[in-house]
Amino acid sequence: MATKINRRLMLAGAAGGLVAGTTKAPAQGGRKRLDGVTLNVSCWNSTYPKLLTDYIPEFEAATGAKVNYETPSFPIYNQRMDVELSTGSSAYDVVNVTFIYAGRWVGSGWVTPLDEFIKDPAKTPAGWDAGDFLSGSTAAFKDKKGQLCAIPWIADIFMAGASRYDLIQKEGLKLPDTFAEVETMAKAVHKKSGVPAFVSENHYGWTFIPWLQGMGGNVFRAPPDDLMPTLDSPEAIAAADLFGKLIREYGPDGAVSMSYEQVLAMLKQGRVTYSPNNETFLAQMAQKEAKAAATCAFSMFPKGPAGRFPGVAAHGWGIPTGSKQKDAAWEFIAWAMSKELGTRMFTEKKYSSVTRRSIIESPSFKDSLNLNGFDVAKIYLDSIEQAGRGYMAYRTVPVYPQIDREIDSAIQSVISQQKTAAEAMKAAQQNALAEIKRAGVKL
Amino acid sequence: MTSARGWEAERRRSFLCGLVPALAVLTLVTLGPVLYLTVSSLTPLNPTIPGSGWDFSQPWRNYTAALGDTRFLLSVWIQVKLSVVTVIGQLGIGLGLALLLDTNSRFMEAIRTGFLLPMVLPPIVVAVVWKIIFTPDISPMHRMLEWVGLPIHSLLANGDTALWAIAAADTWEWFPFTMLMMLAALQMVPKEPLEAAAIDGASRTQTFWYVRLPYIRHTLAVTALFRLIDSIKAFPLIYVLTDGGPGRATEVTNYYAFVQTFNFSYWGYGSAVATLLIAGVLVLSWIILRAGGHGAGGEHA
Repeated sequence: MATKINRRLMLAGAAGGLVAGTTKAPAQGGRKRLDGVTLNVSCWNSTYPKLLTDYIPEFEAATGAKVNYETPSFPIYNQRMDVELSTGSSAYDVVNVTFIYAGRWVGSGWVTPLDEFIKDPAKTPAGWDAGDFLSGSTAAFKDKKGQLCAIPWIADIFMAGASRYDLIQKEGLKLPDTFAEVETMAKAVHKKSGVPAFVSENHYGWTFIPWLQGMGGNVFRAPPDDLMPTLDSPEAIAAADLFGKLIREYGPDGAVSMSYEQVLAMLKQGRVTYSPNNETFLAQMAQKEAKAAATCAFSMFPKGPAGRFPGVAAHGWGIPTGSKQKDAAWEFIAWAMSKELGTRMFTEKKYSSVTRRSIIESPSFKDSLNLNGFDVAKIYLDSIEQAGRGYMAYRTVPVYPQIDREIDSAIQSVISQQKTAAEAMKAAQQNALAEIKRAGVKL
Repeated sequence: MTSARGWEAERRRSFLCGLVPALAVLTLVTLGPVLYLTVSSLTPLNPTIPGSGWDFSQPWRNYTAALGDTRFLLSVWIQVKLSVVTVIGQLGIGLGLALLLDTNSRFMEAIRTGFLLPMVLPPIVVAVVWKIIFTPDISPMHRMLEWVGLPIHSLLANGDTALWAIAAADTWEWFPFTMLMMLAALQMVPKEPLEAAAIDGASRTQTFWYVRLPYIRHTLAVTALFRLIDSIKAFPLIYVLTDGGPGRATEVTNYYAFVQTFNFSYWGYGSAVATLLIAGVLVLSWIILRAGGHGAGGEHA
């Protein structure tokens, strides 16, 4: 069907956030082209999915579709969707492709490649511009043929932030740019004014990896093709030793088990000096109500001897292969991820974890992410660009959830001194090998 | 006689007809899931592998794997330590308080009611309360100890103390149950032997040991059994307080089964671990009931 964008559709798009450029014209005789279509859409509960709720009536009004939209909690969503997708169920038409499950869901062919929709002018207008999405945010969603299987709605990056930059400056130091500088800074400021120097949340399968890679190590030998674990390499042991020492010697009491909520609360209240963390959390230090608003500072995640490896986690909209309404499902995704709606969500709702370069590079976006004089928009963009090198491939292999737990356990053992770094990482290596073999992965 | 027997048989049939629907529902609700769990444990069931739920080619593979799985065996050992300490702690505190409160004054009744509070709180609330108590920078306990010059480090962050911190929280939550059971049993002890012991000049300890304890022994055994079974379900505390860590210091068997099943999608293996757990509980229950005298006819001393 040829693309026809008539006046009625343009008006609907203008009123409704853009069903706009997407696609086909409404049917004749007052009927809308998705009249009678019910789309079942699911995403885990987060800022973006919640904000999107306010715009969905516009999509329904413009297309005639009815959208059943649900946002369960993260673990519930993943468990449910793992079962739905694995059984080829047609219960859902649009789903979130969770980053840590991307390897399993995309690799198993459970979500539909979107290239045929993107390239078809009858389904996607030229101005939609799939190339506008940052490569670091789309990498996890490509199958072996390089086809994109989900459109990223968030790219959260791992960076660094100081809640009490004043204490660092007082010691004549700047924000650390290397691992060695982090240690120097921690030593210099720890417990000065009673404030501990360093904290990291207890999901070590996520927070430790940038240190591991910065030291020159990795989780696997060459993911996603060669999944031989390399957790007992000299680099991995050195990284565990350094990371464990930073938390144990320069962290607050009980730091080993601190969740992100606890870390975030400490940062916002200025009760810890420095933390490598996610942009979505660190940016909250600059909120008006935060005690750290006037003393916060931001930088890229520091580099180690092997370079800088800021983690990037992306989540995207995809279509289950079992869906019987793929065209309508794509229409929803194209609308939700259009430049127009992305811009509106940023300007109207202040949603900043966007994945389109055109929005990130816009002056208004840069202004809004200028936090306490620091250009966080640039840090954000540069970090995502770094991830385009492919070092996040470790995270999207199907067996990673098991390895993630092994790393959590190993680092906790190092911090709490139940084991030395070498003992903990050697045990993690053995356990990881066992898990990988059990999962049926050939090494 | 014949008609009386016929009437009796008819009565039994009527009772049976009335009972069958309830028994069928009960069987379905209680035994159905256990049966499904056991059948699943004989397969490599994994929702990400289609057809794995019907693969009975190596029915014992999960059990063989479990017996060679050091993480599973470690979780059993941690479970044993947690269960022994919490059950003994709860029985000791519950019995001690019951002995103190075994009077009929209104004041004591009010105190009894106050002691019940931990038991009626939702488990997740109890876990949050103890999370606050064990988190040094917001904990009143840590502040108080610091104030009296006895500062301590985080108990949950230390592999040597984390399990005992959970045991303390679990004991706090459930000692009211043992206290109630003991109190009920103590109040059923007949007055005559107590009076006879007093006339014979028995001390309080002797009276407890030779008169009260024999009377409450069965209740003690049943209470221990209930608490033992419940101690194996200490999931919310571990989930909120430690997530099984630090390292694996608090990863008990049911938590391990949860991780295997819901984090890794090894439903078959998780079912096998859960089945072994149920088998262990049944064996322990039998041993405790035997030791408590129920299996031998339940004679009082």
